[in-house]
Amino acid sequence: MAELSIIWKDKMENVDKLKMNAPVYYAVDFEIKREVKFPLYGYITLKGAEANYRVKISAIEPYESREGILKKTTRNLKSLLKIETVQDISAIPLSEFKKEDGGYLKRVTKFSYGILEEQKEFEIKKFRDMTDDEKEIYEIIKSEYDIELPFSLIEKIVKVKKEMGLKKRDTKKLISKVVEIYRRRMVDPYEAVGIVAAQSIGEPGTQMTLRTFHYAGVAEMNVTLGLPRLIEIVDARREPSTPMMEIYLREDIKNDEDMVKEVAKKIESTEIIDVADVITSVADMAIIIQPDPKKMKKRGVKKEDIIESLAKLKAQKLVVEDEGDRIKVKLPEPSYKKLYLLGEGIKSLTLRGVRGIKRAIVRKSRDNTEWVIYTQGSNLADVLEIDEVDGKRTRTNNILEIADVLGIEAARNAIIEEALNTLQQQGLNVDIRHIMLVADTMTYNGIVEAIGRHGIAGQKESVLARAAFEITSKHLLTAGVLGEEDQLKGVAENIIVGQPVTLGTGAVTLIYKPKKKR
Amino acid sequence: MEYTRFEKARIIGARALQIAMGAPILTHVPEELIDPLDIAIYEFEKGVIPITVRRAK
Repeated sequence: MAELSIIWKDKMENVDKLKMNAPVYYAVDFEIKREVKFPLYGYITLKGAEANYRVKISAIEPYESREGILKKTTRNLKSLLKIETVQDISAIPLSEFKKEDGGYLKRVTKFSYGILEEQKEFEIKKFRDMTDDEKEIYEIIKSEYDIELPFSLIEKIVKVKKEMGLKKRDTKKLISKVVEIYRRRMVDPYEAVGIVAAQSIGEPGTQMTLRTFHYAGVAEMNVTLGLPRLIEIVDARREPSTPMMEIYLREDIKNDEDMVKEVAKKIESTEIIDVADVITSVADMAIIIQPDPKKMKKRGVKKEDIIESLAKLKAQKLVVEDEGDRIKVKLPEPSYKKLYLLGEGIKSLTLRGVRGIKRAIVRKSRDNTEWVIYTQGSNLADVLEIDEVDGKRTRTNNILEIADVLGIEAARNAIIEEALNTLQQQGLNVDIRHIMLVADTMTYNGIVEAIGRHGIAGQKESVLARAAFEITSKHLLTAGVLGEEDQLKGVAENIIVGQPVTLGTGAVTLIYKPKKKR
Repeated sequence: MEYTRFEKARIIGARALQIAMGAPILTHVPEELIDPLDIAIYEFEKGVIPITVRRAK
């Protein structure tokens, strides 16, 4: 979908009017001068930072006063857009729109052109997925050069070989050249990759908007983004401040809006208080539950469900009376205190749904091909149990939960993806390898560890390195009491004692090589 | 064995120091080479420096 689209800023009320009246002609205060293909997609931004709505435009005409058109403003109208549909989309940061000059959009105050870049998907190729040709080349390189090339390079070699019709001798030359360049690009041993990674993430980090601690997305959800989110990832918090899930569904139902909404209802946890009024009636010594038919229908709950769920209350035997439009719950023996407690218990009784998921919203996916459930709150293990869910694509932003449910490798990938997305949303491009290094250091012990005092920096072997990091006197004192030794292997220790560090040239040990006799 | 750029720098550096302090040169060197560092680089390229590295296993 890499076609030119238009982006403009508009008011919520205008969008609502468009939604109600579409298809409709919409008079706007800008002109579209570029060649555009129909159907043209327009994106509406409410705050100027991310696209919130997608509209399908089927025609553009110069402005003229007509019956039954909607107007963006009252003055300065220039063109008429025929708007077919208006869609809520999950907020797309404007930095994902490419400008015509090759840069990326930052803010749109009025109107702009832009090309929505397709999202790159992570795809991990395994040896078994390779074709025979690729396997052959892979084996040749492995045996001849003792090097395992990434599969993407092997794919390219095979592609070039086929396209150019290379003979065996030329293929060999090609391979040797590729290997040579690959070797040259590799990082030398003892290169200070950690420092490079830290600076490469840290410098763009200073440009991140500190202001956006939270921002209101269209999904009526608050999402932590930017620097706070990055800190959260690196700190390996047990729970992110805004846990969220993106639940994708099986092939056969992903395009059926009603079915997807059905699943969403099943996932969203519903408490009695969400569908009914709970009244404590002191006169009757009873709790009266008054279900709201509208809310019940919306949440897909029946009155029987409520009665059934009451049985789950582990309190004494309750007397449940169904009185048609209301349910009366009585205590076997009257007691004000117990009545009060019962009322509170009933209010927070879960009727259905997955624990921890507060809301579930159904929306079209970013590429507009299927319906996806976005949730507030996360519970990966229980969501994956649901039949209709496509577990392969479903994701959460809770990294530790991923580590628990799917394992440490999945957690590593999640860290990479979350960190990269957070940076990209801010329009910063950091090479993935730096983030991979961070993710690897966080996970190489088999558990997700934070970077910092509680995590990997706090458990360094060397006393001096720990003392240099934080709480110097405490570390030195305990080391003295316990009689710890320091091997002076790391960087910080060697700087403290004034030796060359074990990095780069400092890590090389020279020895004398006697001259060979001929 | 191929040297990494750190090893190369370290070997040439050590050899240049020797040359600067008057060590005999181990190969015939073009006359215009005066700087000990240049001579050390020349020697390295010829492969006559009797220094190598010990690598950690």
